[in-house]
Amino acid sequence: MAIDEGMRTEQDPRLTKARRPGFGLGLLKGLGVTIRHMLSHNKVIQYPDVKQDLPPRTRGVIALKEENCTVCMLCARECPDWCIYIDSHKETLPPKREGGRARKRNVLDRFAIDYALCMYCGICVEVCPYDALFWSREFEYSEYDIRQLTHEKERLSDWMASVLPPPPLEVGAEVPGSPTAAPAATVEATAARPATTTSSAAEARPAQAAAAPTTGTAATEAARPAESVPRPTEEKKAPTAAPAEMAPETLATGEPAGGGTASDATATAPATSPEASAVKAKPAPKAKAAPKGKKGKADSTPAADASAIEADPAEAPKPTAEEVAQYQETPGPNVEVPHEEPKPIALVPTEDPEAVYREVLEEQLAKGSSPQVAEARAKVARVKAERGIKRGPSGGGS
Amino acid sequence: MNLPEITLTAWQILLVKVGIILMIFPLAGIVGGYAEHKIMAHIQHRLGPMYPGGFHGWAATIADTVKFIYKEDIIPAAADKRVFRIAPALILAPVIMTYLVIPVDRTLIVEDLDVGIFYLLAVSSVSVIGVLMAGWSSANKYALIGGLRAAAQLIAYELPIVLAAATIAMLAGTLSLVGIVESQDWPYILWPPGIGLIAFLVFLSGAVAEMARPPFDMPVAESEIITGPFTEYSGIRFMLCYLGAEMGHIVAFAGVGATLFLGGYRPIVPWGPLEAIPGLFWFLGKTFFMVFLFMWIRPTYPRLREDQLQKFAWKILIPVSLALILVAGAWVLYAPEGLR
Repeated sequence: MAIDEGMRTEQDPRLTKARRPGFGLGLLKGLGVTIRHMLSHNKVIQYPDVKQDLPPRTRGVIALKEENCTVCMLCARECPDWCIYIDSHKETLPPKREGGRARKRNVLDRFAIDYALCMYCGICVEVCPYDALFWSREFEYSEYDIRQLTHEKERLSDWMASVLPPPPLEVGAEVPGSPTAAPAATVEATAARPATTTSSAAEARPAQAAAAPTTGTAATEAARPAESVPRPTEEKKAPTAAPAEMAPETLATGEPAGGGTASDATATAPATSPEASAVKAKPAPKAKAAPKGKKGKADSTPAADASAIEADPAEAPKPTAEEVAQYQETPGPNVEVPHEEPKPIALVPTEDPEAVYREVLEEQLAKGSSPQVAEARAKVARVKAERGIKRGPSGGGS
Repeated sequence: MNLPEITLTAWQILLVKVGIILMIFPLAGIVGGYAEHKIMAHIQHRLGPMYPGGFHGWAATIADTVKFIYKEDIIPAAADKRVFRIAPALILAPVIMTYLVIPVDRTLIVEDLDVGIFYLLAVSSVSVIGVLMAGWSSANKYALIGGLRAAAQLIAYELPIVLAAATIAMLAGTLSLVGIVESQDWPYILWPPGIGLIAFLVFLSGAVAEMARPPFDMPVAESEIITGPFTEYSGIRFMLCYLGAEMGHIVAFAGVGATLFLGGYRPIVPWGPLEAIPGLFWFLGKTFFMVFLFMWIRPTYPRLREDQLQKFAWKILIPVSLALILVAGAWVLYAPEGLR
């Protein structure tokens, strides 16, 4: 249509292509786009009438589980807005034994969050070591009076009823509390490994489950370790794959890295969603993919791989040879990447420190620096010379 | 069924006709306004009004009208008060007057003027004087800019509309709108080949520009000159001169477009059962299609720049419509008898 000749200065080929006359066909295309949008399904949720099912991690309002609060004040101190008010007093409990010292206990008097100030950063929820603060999805608590937005502990406790159980972990996610430094467990027999993960998960999870507000949470948490119970039988089917070569590796390097990858491979099992076949399919290729990335282990891998591929079809109908190959090519998201340790700077003195000191001192004085500055720079130069650090062109401190 | 014979004198007939025409305008405003709300909303993945009246907000524009009537009518202290008050009437009256000559059916027409199309084009361009008056009398720089833009736009786009209509009149051999519809044959817009379609596109562009609707809405351009000439208007005057006039204009131009290009009250295909449907429904259907077209164009294209608008009119539309007149003349003179 109306093409502005004066604008034709840029040489971008896309622009020149866009400015080529299209004889109005672009206009028809535009009409087509709008009519398609008009006829497509309208996904508007009519909010006050229909309520959206918000994601479980929605930051709606912060709920307080009062009995978990120990008045440690961490939340109040970490709050960037200083919108948390905590008052407490100490109570003296009678000694346990006759003649013993009386025990002290902190009792929460006031816990209030001023939602007029709160910026919903969630740091208080993150920082609470005793799981006393939770996010709730409720967000309809606007008030006509700003003072009403300060929720005292009774109201904050009421929000606990709306707190959801934590969502299940994503596929491949690391199980919180799983042992990262447990090489001993991997060095031992095959059956020992799943046992350790299960037990550690059982240790870590119920700690949260106890803190979790509803009975539903406790149920899901309890179900989690139970999921990984059938693991030992699977482990027998693919016996040589992971542990056989993991063991020498961990011994050779002496790092906990091998243990980390091994636990990672097993961690996928409880993390994967209810479908049991998927749970079975995952670990074997994962365990193989992990050692492949390591250097110097090429000699033992092919054999283990082959045995694992043989073992696979017996295990479950799901993973085909292509799938296994795909897993080997592209390791999962949580496979540990080998990283280099930072090397310390060489401590080889290259110059005579005292000579450097004198030299720099003279140089600085000649340049007109004050005696104090010259001395300080000379000292810095001397220290650098002692430690073999290269000095700048000026020879001075900076 | 025997209806009682009613004999009316000439002035009584006139009153009835005026009453009907005056009722069409608010109806067009209410129905058209609601349609525009809903069509635009759905194109933009919204729902539009959903509450007033209960079912899909059907009473939204009625409620709007009541609201505007109740609102305070503010006249700026610096305004030229008499001109400011008259302007909405001057904007609105020509819109209503165009309804007089549009044939809803073969005989259902207020006045079948021999110079129907001439009258229609002459009257419809009067409203820009009202817009200019509104812009000038508001004592507001945005209103003034908007009024002048509206005047410039009308001059630029009146010509293509007139020339496109003249092309149709040449092919039909008459200026009467009923005569034009009668002379058209199926397929209306596609015959003579090309001429009708190009004339229709020229008419469509000109109509959108004359109604000052996007993409040619620089005179009102709410994001740059805050609804231009209507900046200072409020209450019922705002409703009449801006919202009402726009809807009235849409229906008027849709009716004209349906009459000139789509065969008006005649069925889309000359086929027995379709011929049995009264012409009123054919006309209304085609008019609604045109209204929908205008409302479809609005959310599709972005607003042009003022100079692009003028350039488009003078460099493209007017030469094209002039050439069209030449082609149409040649067709009338030299086309073989069987084809015409």
